[in-house]
Amino acid sequence: MRSDNHFRPSRRHVLGGAAAAGAMLAAPAVVRAQAKALKVAVVLPRSGLFAAAGQSCYRGAVVTPKVLADLGYSVELVHVDFESNVDVARTQTERAIAEGAQCVVGAFESGATLAMAQVCEQRQVPLIINIASVPQLTEQGYKYLVRNFLTNAQLVGNGLRLVKDLMAATSVPFKNAVFVHANDTFGTAQRAAMDRLFPAAEMPFPLLESIAYDPKAQDLAVEVTKIRALAPELVLVTTRSSDAIKLVRDMVRQRFEPKAIISPGSPGLYDEEFYQALGPLADFHLYNLPWANAKSPVTQALAAAYKTAHPTNRFEVDCFNAGFTFEAIMVGADAFKRAGTADGPTLMAAVKTTNIAEHVLTGGPIKFDEKGQNNNIQAAVVQNRNRTPTVVLPPDVAVAAPVLPMPPWQGRS
Amino acid sequence: MISLWGDMNRRGQVVVALALLLLLVAPLGATRYVLSVLTLILYFVYVGQAWNLMMGYAGQLSLGHALYVGLGGYVSAALWVHFGIGPWLGVFPAVAVAAAFGAAIGWLGFRFGIEGVYFALLTIAFAEFTRIGFDHIGFVGGAGGLFIPYEEQRLGQWWNLRGSQLFFYYLAFALAAAAVLLTALLARSRLGYQWIAIREDETAARALGIDVFRAKLKAVLISSSMTAIGGVFYAFYYNSLFPAQLFDMGRSIELILGPIVGGTGTVFGPVVGAFILTPLGEILISVTEHLGINAPGAKAVFFGLTLMTIIYLVPTGVWPWLSRKLGLARRRP
Repeated sequence: MRSDNHFRPSRRHVLGGAAAAGAMLAAPAVVRAQAKALKVAVVLPRSGLFAAAGQSCYRGAVVTPKVLADLGYSVELVHVDFESNVDVARTQTERAIAEGAQCVVGAFESGATLAMAQVCEQRQVPLIINIASVPQLTEQGYKYLVRNFLTNAQLVGNGLRLVKDLMAATSVPFKNAVFVHANDTFGTAQRAAMDRLFPAAEMPFPLLESIAYDPKAQDLAVEVTKIRALAPELVLVTTRSSDAIKLVRDMVRQRFEPKAIISPGSPGLYDEEFYQALGPLADFHLYNLPWANAKSPVTQALAAAYKTAHPTNRFEVDCFNAGFTFEAIMVGADAFKRAGTADGPTLMAAVKTTNIAEHVLTGGPIKFDEKGQNNNIQAAVVQNRNRTPTVVLPPDVAVAAPVLPMPPWQGRS
Repeated sequence: MISLWGDMNRRGQVVVALALLLLLVAPLGATRYVLSVLTLILYFVYVGQAWNLMMGYAGQLSLGHALYVGLGGYVSAALWVHFGIGPWLGVFPAVAVAAAFGAAIGWLGFRFGIEGVYFALLTIAFAEFTRIGFDHIGFVGGAGGLFIPYEEQRLGQWWNLRGSQLFFYYLAFALAAAAVLLTALLARSRLGYQWIAIREDETAARALGIDVFRAKLKAVLISSSMTAIGGVFYAFYYNSLFPAQLFDMGRSIELILGPIVGGTGTVFGPVVGAFILTPLGEILISVTEHLGINAPGAKAVFFGLTLMTIIYLVPTGVWPWLSRKLGLARRRP
């Protein structure tokens, strides 16, 4: 039996219902795309092996929304700790995107960054690398990835060029050099870059030897004995903070005093624990890295916000990690402002056309090439003075003159 | 398979069938995040089961099982990157290399009577010197890592393990299911009984005429081969390999936590362990975030405390206790 008033769906009803259901299902995506603030997942190794650097980046990220708001940008941050673990980096990036993140920033460590890149590529969410130097990151053809950081080759290339500038500025020549590096992922990649770039850089002194060491070693007495036997005037180093401490301590113990210890682009010599462990012995070491441009108003704003938020930490020490993390978030915020939407492909297109002249770190405008690499980052020569990183070259960003050769270990106070 | 099924009562069979069905249809309702977590769980079920054969059944403690994951991953990735040999073919040399290392460790250990913690130290030593060795092998990128290129034109080529998250989920599911079945099969085989006899009392096993050396070596060979296949999965899932990450002692511990928590020497122990530990980690991340606990490492502390509690309450593992409580196993006369 059929009732006359029984509802019989027509084609129009079905189409209308389907459209309504589609609109309902698409609503979160539409709302997300039209959000007023860009939701950025900041994925960092805040615990585990890379915790110290991750924390330093995090301190920069925490103050970023306020500084960006003053500059007319609007961002909302989701902080994710990937525990220095690739598995966690991948699943947590998935989670952050599932919970509405429209852009991802990270991740300090190259393996984790690659794991995140695959997720971002599949989800069409821009990944802006704050720090990670493995060249392959921008050589793999990822469309949703850009890197506002130097590759290993760029770090070493810039580092060597600045050694020449330093010699010219101080009129102190070096007769020879030794390269000492940690035998980890970063150190080995720097060694490869050094082997390739040193001959091409036509340095005015020979590289006597490259000496690798295990960063987990209890001391570096054997390595320092080797260096001492070669009697180099310049020691080029690629270290992490704990082994940088061991290296300098063993040099002091063995009374080995080169004219300079220079890092052509690595951490270690400017970490807070390095200053605390070595006191006056931490002074006068040099490192050639992109550094906060104290003359930039954006740097000044970030430094002021940082000092208020983190009174027990020093921006001068943290500015490398904090600055690059800030800039990565800024790139996303700027693209969002220009694109007017957080829709993945549109936002990524805007990220690719970034052109930010006023930013934190030394170098030209933030721009990306077709592979997503920013090639405008310039390193500066930074020297530890009174346990504070101080830019000494190039002159346009320097706040003090370089001291070379470094004073003897004895008599420092 | 039949013996595994026959070991369970009706309730147990229903629970297992339901769990299998749920896992099969999970992608229909799960978000990509949940799917990625499930993939990780199934991967740990697989490698945990491989370790369980060696430790849980044969009683040989290996604390360097990451060695085989690393070897499997590196061999298959290097064959793909340098010679274009796909992972379905590359898995055979990967397994062969891992088995050769396993045989070397086993031969050294069993031939010279290195047992217990000393055998465990031997496995750690092999993993460590392999890590250091790979740091210096330029052919596979040294310490700088080996990268499997992301090639857009290969996306979706499941035969080259270039599939989507869904593909890797089902691959992990197939691996985990196969590992469970193989374990069940081996546990009821002549070899399985020999392993259990050796585990319980090696001298008595020898007195019964069991070729202890051969049986233990078989355990190492099967376990290392299986783990190497897990390494191939890892390499093509993450697309990057670093010696410091892959051969690390922490990785080895991560692999064996599942079976230990779930219950070693049982077929379902590694499954239950993996289904407890991986989600626990994810849940603790969410909980600490929602509670506003912004201390990095807080999750690790909670994780450790939870593990301690589990091990204190059920020292023989969760699965034996759970199956008893839920009455899942068939009662033997």
